[in-house]
Amino acid sequence: MKYRCPVCMFASLPYPPSNYHICPCCSTEFGNDDADFSHQQLREMWVANGANWFFGNAPEHWNPWMQLIRAGLDVPRPFTSFRFDNTAIVEHQKIRLLAQEYELCPAA
Amino acid sequence: MLKPYVCVACEKVVIAKEGDVPSLIGLISKITLTVPAETEIPRNGVAPKEWTVFSIWDSEPGDEQKEYVLCTQIVYPDKTQFGQIAKLKIPIEPKKRSQMLIQINGFPIGQPGPHTVRSWVEEKEQLVVGPLEFKIELEIIRDAAAKTGPSA
Repeated sequence: MKYRCPVCMFASLPYPPSNYHICPCCSTEFGNDDADFSHQQLREMWVANGANWFFGNAPEHWNPWMQLIRAGLDVPRPFTSFRFDNTAIVEHQKIRLLAQEYELCPAA
Repeated sequence: MLKPYVCVACEKVVIAKEGDVPSLIGLISKITLTVPAETEIPRNGVAPKEWTVFSIWDSEPGDEQKEYVLCTQIVYPDKTQFGQIAKLKIPIEPKKRSQMLIQINGFPIGQPGPHTVRSWVEEKEQLVVGPLEFKIELEIIRDAAAKTGPSA
């Protein structure tokens, strides 16, 4: 059975987040660190320090921000605007079907 | 063998209740990000914006007995991989196209340049169709007048 860390939302803890177990992702020691700070405060501290993996090697292609987003939490937005754009050149043609032929018409 | 009918990235896909007819909203070819001049974006940064890789596949008789898996990968401009490869079983019914939606709830913003969306089909973990590839350009504009947006 896997458990989720309530601080960083790492979803593959091999043990429950209690009894002085330590999250390998955010380093929270449950029963100790979360006695002094709320999970949200601990999360904010982890994020402010770069949201780095704590113990050993992170899982392949692990991304802390996607981990938080998937859990429904917000992440830092270091931008003022995010816009989907289009780089396409647009051409438009209407094809009108007549009895036995196609007639190309300029766009309205 | 499956054949691709369409494979695109878009902001949203609306599926009509009647007939499962898809409507694609906001086909994506480029993303423009405005960032305050002094702000550093972490290399692994992600914008919490949902988008979809939508594909439709034509099947032929006999395909319904096969177990096809659609694999989708996002690749940074430096050729490293963003996140995990999404793997989704392709349901196949006779005389029907298979519509596949891969919803991704963040877009990588750590590297400006062309991001590659790569899709392919595997059967028994062997490549059988593709890969199909297209690019999404990420442009980052540094704005001296802008201030940083809200954070977590």
